Amino acid sequence: MAVKTAVKEKEKERRAIITVRNLSVEYRTHRGIVKAVRNVSFDVYEGEILFLVGESGSGKSTLGFALMNLVPSPGYIKEGEIIYHLDGQDIELRKLPLEEQRLFRWKQVAMVFQSALNALNPVLRIWDQLYDTIQAHDPNITREEAYKKIKYLLSMVRLDADRVLKSYPHELSGGMRQRVMIAMALLLDPKILILDEPTTALDILTQKNIIELLKKIKDELGLTMIFITHDLSLAAELADRVAVMYAGKILELSDVYTIFYNPKHPYTYALIKTIPKLTSIDEELYPIPGSPPDMINLPPGCKFHPRCPYAKEICTEKEPEFEQAGPNHYVACHRWRELKFER
Amino acid sequence: MSFKSVVGKIYRNFLVRRILRAFGVIFVTSTLTFFIIRLMPSNPIEIFINQMMAAYGMSYQDAKALALALFTIDLDKPLHQQYIEYLINLFQGNLGRSISISPGTPVMDIILAFLPWTLFSVSISILASFVLGVITGIIAAYRRGGLFDKVMSTFAAIISAIPGYLIGILIIVFIGVQYGLINYMRGAYSAGIRPGFNLQFISDVFLHLAAPFATYVLSTFGGWMLSMKASTISTLGEDYVTVAKAKGLPESRIRTQYVGRNAILPLFTSLAIQLGFIFGGSVLIENIFVYRGVGRLLWSSINARDYTVMQAVFLIITISVVVSNLLADLIYGLIDPRVRVGE
Ligand SMILES: Nc1ncnc2c1ncn2[C@@H]1O[C@H](COP(=O)(O)OP(=O)(O)OP(=O)(O)O)[C@@H](O)[C@H]1O
Ligand code: SF4
Ligand SMILES: [Mg+2]
Repeated sequence: MAVKTAVKEKEKERRAIITVRNLSVEYRTHRGIVKAVRNVSFDVYEGEILFLVGESGSGKSTLGFALMNLVPSPGYIKEGEIIYHLDGQDIELRKLPLEEQRLFRWKQVAMVFQSALNALNPVLRIWDQLYDTIQAHDPNITREEAYKKIKYLLSMVRLDADRVLKSYPHELSGGMRQRVMIAMALLLDPKILILDEPTTALDILTQKNIIELLKKIKDELGLTMIFITHDLSLAAELADRVAVMYAGKILELSDVYTIFYNPKHPYTYALIKTIPKLTSIDEELYPIPGSPPDMINLPPGCKFHPRCPYAKEICTEKEPEFEQAGPNHYVACHRWRELKFER
Repeated sequence: MSFKSVVGKIYRNFLVRRILRAFGVIFVTSTLTFFIIRLMPSNPIEIFINQMMAAYGMSYQDAKALALALFTIDLDKPLHQQYIEYLINLFQGNLGRSISISPGTPVMDIILAFLPWTLFSVSISILASFVLGVITGIIAAYRRGGLFDKVMSTFAAIISAIPGYLIGILIIVFIGVQYGLINYMRGAYSAGIRPGFNLQFISDVFLHLAAPFATYVLSTFGGWMLSMKASTISTLGEDYVTVAKAKGLPESRIRTQYVGRNAILPLFTSLAIQLGFIFGGSVLIENIFVYRGVGRLLWSSINARDYTVMQAVFLIITISVVVSNLLADLIYGLIDPRVRVGE
């Protein structure tokens, strides 16, 4: 009982730092229009770690880029609102003049990119790439002040500043480069940090190290994080809440405990079953049958129905609404009320 | 350390190895030209002897003795002996005397009279073309799909499909003849003018440079522009450019340090190869405009079967191409930190 009231208390404190409403992002390609994000609405709460989970191509990175208004061409935000609530102001990044957008980025919201190996400019030394970041936002800063800040952050990500700063990116290992990127993202003390698969390009040991590092950062800095991954098991370690994405839409959104122990969406349940458990070696794994839909010619109705074992006639005709299924639990499935998944 | 290991160590040094290889290439090429030249039909010394007999009524013996005294080579000797003599002379810096285009004049003097004009005209043209192409290419890449891009890319594609000499002829016909400028399209300066360091001569030189300059630039500009455009477009898609935008860097810094520097790298190799031709000029273009360059010298020496001059010109072209490739590698190591020189 005590636990429940504590959760309730926490709920009341929750304050949205980003509100996303009816967001749609498309890419115009020669094959047709890719609807990468389709009419998505959700909030990001201050101080939380929100996981965005989904298979490859489900639109996670696109959503991340849209938050910074940096959707790469030929993509564009078709409609919708992304409102930041910062310092008592409501800011719609897209509507700001370009120069203000530039100053907003990285200062308020920074990002660690999916491809660690390619995120650093190969012809500039690490020092230049960190220093130019500070300088772009504070042209009057002295080298000494900048150096102090940089050195502090590099030691936080456990890098030897004096060695790393002189290096070019190719002289560092993948894990070191990703640490540099994390330090770079924290350089201006952003309020929000987007991490787009920060570990996928790395070997398994380095992945573990980076996750440990992110845990430490979570504890020490308490900033708001949006963590993009296709690896649901990472969510178990780090997430406060999880949003499950499929074919450009969020299918289920709830706190991490509910997602793992009381999922309402068949796709979420299928994803959980794909996670290998370390406790039992010979346990059977259940890869999700079928493959993600073609994002240009999406199936009618629920986009998951061709792969869903619970699909009924209505699922092929009408796309389900994103409904509230409990306190802070949202799901988009016609049959969420009837379905029970045994664990 | 044994002698062998010292030699091995020196050889393993990148620079030493490259220089040794460069000498090897020069040696092999000049050997090949030596023999190929002698495979050409007709014998220039025989022609000289016949001319002497016809013009001055000399006997064959007298004419032959004159030829032997005048020229350092004797084509009646066995080939291998001629070759050894050629090598010995070469190592002493002796290029021999011209046989037919200016009998008896040291080849070195002839080269020194022609080389500066080629150096002057080709280097100015290559640099101008490179700079113009790079700038236009970047602008086209940034505005791809726009009017500027469409017009310039079409123009570049057409112009780079036309051979240089044809552009030269078109310039002569449509500008030279139409506007009565044909006098400025013959030679490196007007016939009546005295070479000297005065305004009249210098402006005359530049007027004469205009047509070959335009031809060089027009025939190479398209290639530079299209490669720079392609390179810039692919660089714009690199993650580090997106990172730079996300970091809130000013557009000017992104354009120069993140896009420009990386996009231009692949063009440097081609530029260095082009620079190798500064010494060789273009045979066709120099001939069209009767420009006093090495290319034209090569043409007339081939027509006159002037073995010694041909050997010297080919040697110069080989050396300059080899040296510029060597320099290209070294410079590339400086501008691209990923290419390490030394090991
Ligand atoms: N630059 C682009 N041009 C055209 N289509 C694109 C582009 N970038 C992404 N897409 C398409 O948009 C859809 C969503 O892509 P996105 O990169 O957001 O997926 P993701 O969930 O991040 O996948 P991954 O796990 O592979 O990173 C995909 O179908 C992809 O093919
Ligand atoms: S709406 Fe139908 S097809 Fe879609 S997940 Fe629910 S049951 Fe399956
Ligand atoms: Mg992605």
